[in-house]
Amino acid sequence: MSGAEDNYRVSSDRPFLLVLAVLGGSYLFLIVAMVVADLIFLDYRDRPVFGPEIVEASRYPGDASGVKITLESSRRYYYQGGRNELGFRMGGNLIKKDGVFDAVEEEVLLVSETPEGAVTASFRPEVRVVDIQLHEGVATLRMDLPHGLLWGEFIRVRDSGSEFWDGVHEITDTTQDELSFVVGEQSKIVNALSLSRPNPLIQALRSRDIQFSIKLSLVSCTVTTLLSLWVAIPIGYLMSRFTFRGKAFVDTLLDIPVVLPPLVVGLSLLILFRYVPDWLSDAVVYKWPAVVLAQFMVACAFAVRTMRVTFDQIPHRYEQVALTLGCNRQQAFWRVVLPQARGGVLAAGTLAWARALGEFGPILVFAGATRQKTEVLPTSAFLELQAGRTEGMLAVSLIMIATAALVFVVARTFGMKRIFS
Amino acid sequence: MIAVDNLSIRQGDFLLEGVSLELSDGEYGVLMGRSGCGKTTVLEAICGLRPIIGGRILLGGRDVSVLPPAERGIGYVPQDGALFPDMPVWEQLAFSMLIRKMPKSQVEARVRELAKDLGITHLLERLPVGLSGGERQRVALGRALAVKPRFLCMDEPLSALDEDILEEICELFTQTIKKENVTALHITHSKAEAARLGDTLFHLVGGQLQKVGPNEE
Repeated sequence: MSGAEDNYRVSSDRPFLLVLAVLGGSYLFLIVAMVVADLIFLDYRDRPVFGPEIVEASRYPGDASGVKITLESSRRYYYQGGRNELGFRMGGNLIKKDGVFDAVEEEVLLVSETPEGAVTASFRPEVRVVDIQLHEGVATLRMDLPHGLLWGEFIRVRDSGSEFWDGVHEITDTTQDELSFVVGEQSKIVNALSLSRPNPLIQALRSRDIQFSIKLSLVSCTVTTLLSLWVAIPIGYLMSRFTFRGKAFVDTLLDIPVVLPPLVVGLSLLILFRYVPDWLSDAVVYKWPAVVLAQFMVACAFAVRTMRVTFDQIPHRYEQVALTLGCNRQQAFWRVVLPQARGGVLAAGTLAWARALGEFGPILVFAGATRQKTEVLPTSAFLELQAGRTEGMLAVSLIMIATAALVFVVARTFGMKRIFS
Repeated sequence: MIAVDNLSIRQGDFLLEGVSLELSDGEYGVLMGRSGCGKTTVLEAICGLRPIIGGRILLGGRDVSVLPPAERGIGYVPQDGALFPDMPVWEQLAFSMLIRKMPKSQVEARVRELAKDLGITHLLERLPVGLSGGERQRVALGRALAVKPRFLCMDEPLSALDEDILEEICELFTQTIKKENVTALHITHSKAEAARLGDTLFHLVGGQLQKVGPNEE
């Protein structure tokens, strides 16, 4: 009874499983953390409109006395500490946090970290509305300080008699301390008390440029997806079912768009279109067809891969049976193979759509970044970043995340379960 | 009549040469041999699913060597049934008739007749998923016989079945095949199955086909 087996022990599976869980879990954590960080970073509250900087350039004195800043009491200010500041002293308290505060004294004291360093903190007063004029449906507000808002930005105003904000208005005209906007018919503004800027998400969604880019993104991605499937299904089927000379070479060619840097794809397209007739080049380059073509070149390669794998996984046996039952190859394809490839077609379509939505480099090179013309969502994000509006970029990113999520949910409901579960 | 005359087939590095076989009308032939000896290759060549490099295939006296499978008038029952995964049973049975655009009433009548003969009337609305091995093979046989082909090729149709229903299915197959009056070629590696089913036995050994002779029980 007692053989060698009695002393033989297998070490526990637990360490192995633990390593798998840790490796997989860390990636999952990063995915979730990334998206959640985007969502919580964005400040969804309205923010007041602030006037110009009031701290003058100077240096801290050598002793520990600090620098006096004169404020207007009972006005709100925005404080942002610099790299030399500990904070500021107001009413006996040392305030260190950046943000909005109500001034309770005429004078506050900036406290430095390093004596004789430069003053790098910033105080900006909230802008107040001092006058409102309504003339033929246009409201013109006068402010007591320069507001720094630009034409095309959005604001909210609140009537002195009301608790609630009165809609979102697009600024149609500005001067240094005045701004105008069109008042809707339902609007009941009589005398505006306060002014605020809506959060970046509303700013982005209300912007006509970004509305256009959302529309162009949705339309171009859908067109790209349909074109990709139109090409990927035949190529995938051919590559899966037939052998011919040079097949390995064709296979490599099909992978070029996957491995090529996207920017190079755009540049190559641009150069290619120097050799086509002028009418064609004029119709495509720097116009919306260029957006679709640039997206198509990259997205289609992924769709082709997916379709190839899909057809590879469907046994030849079904087609062979269909052939003996009286089909020719075309009938066998439509009636027997394609219905089974449905899940793969959906996966390829979704993949192509998602790739197309994120495509940026080739579009920038081949279609340009013209507002209201070739601007897609990644372009919008890029333009926001260029204009120094990180929050605007984030808002556009959130719109992209939401769109992509929506497409995946729709695709899943239409039968992706077979692939993902 | 199924006649295979000096057939040569290449499959990769595997070469099968000089295969000859003859079955007269209404005969039930069984082709035996070990796994990997080329039985399936021969069967596929007869059905037109595999190109041949030499010899001839005659079905009812007609040379079909280069005809596409659809024009050979041959029913095919593959090893695992290979039922189309997203078609209900009735559509599988009707498939070959719908392809030929036969009138609807005729299609319905034939589907009902086949379902009754094969005992699968209660399964007509079901999808293949969840059918038992025996049920799948009945559907596969019905699908192959739907347009009344004169010839039938079966590739180990019964090898995946449980021992206890084998008897019943064998009986059903022979009955149905006799009733439909087809010339059948059945391949198997099971001696018991061969003894039970065939009129004539062939043995494929080392690339050579030998007629073992009429099956005498």
